[in-house]
Amino acid sequence: MARYAKINETLIQVDLNGNEDLYAKKGSMLAYTGDIQFQGAFLSGGSLREATVRQVTGEGLHLMKARGRGTVLYGHRGMMVNIISLGGERLYVESDSVLAFDQSIRPGTEFLGNQGGVGGLVRGAMAGQGLFTTTLDGNGEVVILSSGDLIELQVDQSRPIFVDPQAYVGHKGHLTTQIHTDVNWKTFVGQGSGESFQFKFTGQGTVYVQADER
Amino acid sequence: MDLLNPNTLPVNDNINPYAFSVDVVKDYIVRKGKMIAYYGNLRFEALGSSIIDMIVSNSFNAPAYGGDYIVASGRGKLIVGDNGNHINSYDLENANMTIKAVNLLAYEPTLTCEECVTPGYVTLLGSGKMLASSSGMVHFMEPPVRVDPEALLGWADCPTPSFHHDYGYVRSALSLGASMLGLTSSGEEKQINFTGQGTVIIQSSEGALRGTSLLQSMISDMNQLQQSEMQTLKGLLEQRLNNR
Repeated sequence: MARYAKINETLIQVDLNGNEDLYAKKGSMLAYTGDIQFQGAFLSGGSLREATVRQVTGEGLHLMKARGRGTVLYGHRGMMVNIISLGGERLYVESDSVLAFDQSIRPGTEFLGNQGGVGGLVRGAMAGQGLFTTTLDGNGEVVILSSGDLIELQVDQSRPIFVDPQAYVGHKGHLTTQIHTDVNWKTFVGQGSGESFQFKFTGQGTVYVQADER
Repeated sequence: MDLLNPNTLPVNDNINPYAFSVDVVKDYIVRKGKMIAYYGNLRFEALGSSIIDMIVSNSFNAPAYGGDYIVASGRGKLIVGDNGNHINSYDLENANMTIKAVNLLAYEPTLTCEECVTPGYVTLLGSGKMLASSSGMVHFMEPPVRVDPEALLGWADCPTPSFHHDYGYVRSALSLGASMLGLTSSGEEKQINFTGQGTVIIQSSEGALRGTSLLQSMISDMNQLQQSEMQTLKGLLEQRLNNR
């Protein structure tokens, strides 16, 4: 498994020992030492079918594959890097926020309509982020980009959370997404409160948000 | 990175430089569209939409900015953020604090917000907590001081400031030549002058806040407009643009 080390808030170092593939966002490689080969990765560790789905749905993960022996530094436009550990869970995340993962992680694409029915559809439309989202599955670590510190919020049965669609980065665990509307008749015909639509997450898991509303 | 839940979230404190956790017990006045996430049972209502008005009418007395704020009521933990700008909180005690209206992010209704004589600024009176966003970190200074208008965030317990024009600069031969060519505006010849006792708050960047939230929320509301309403809006905009 690749070893990740944060050099500072916006820079990550990955050690490769020769027999593993590391996938990272295209154009995010900043420097490397040792003997490492880089090549475009159309499949990104998934199957041909998954790659095709990504291409068709516009959830394109534009990745470079790194293989060899040495260390590589990655960073992207001064955004903060966050290491998230997955213990067999599925992480839902926007493809733009994915910086790096190795072959222990399996990327996929999920139709949000399957996730809470109509709510999922509305979510995509409201957040302006499309109807599909990237999923990362497996046992290992992934590196996620955020604008400002990533805030990790816990959700359990007694504590659902409401999230602004524009600040949402991703989530993992057994969570159900719903659209929560706070529209009463008065706000509907008159002034909106500006917070009329929120994602409501219920279940057991973690939601990631950032302070930057795209 | 810490896993946060309602018990581990900071109480009325910064989560990081860009996000702040507000413990809402009853009402809180927050700038529109700045909610990132919340736990608990909260409602958001526009100022001017309901009975809420009666509750907060004492604390909001700046009709020019009424459309920019909402009231979060109920009980819960509210996380606010402002497009990745820095967020600072100020605990006011029987204070008189003036702040640039666009930088005022949230405040407790125990404070009264009034329009300041200086255009574009609001004054908060009373005791309570307020949050302000800033481009870069804030810095406090004591008068006498002269501040660049862009870098000025606000002032507390000071006499009303005045503009100071640096005519020595304008008079110099070099800038006279430049003014004839229309190149005068270095932007440094006009400053805001503070005298007396008090505190002046400046931000470390001359840039405006990132993101234009008002425009964004207006664009998102556009979907609800009908054809005739959009025509009216178009006429209004043309009128405003021609008057410039």
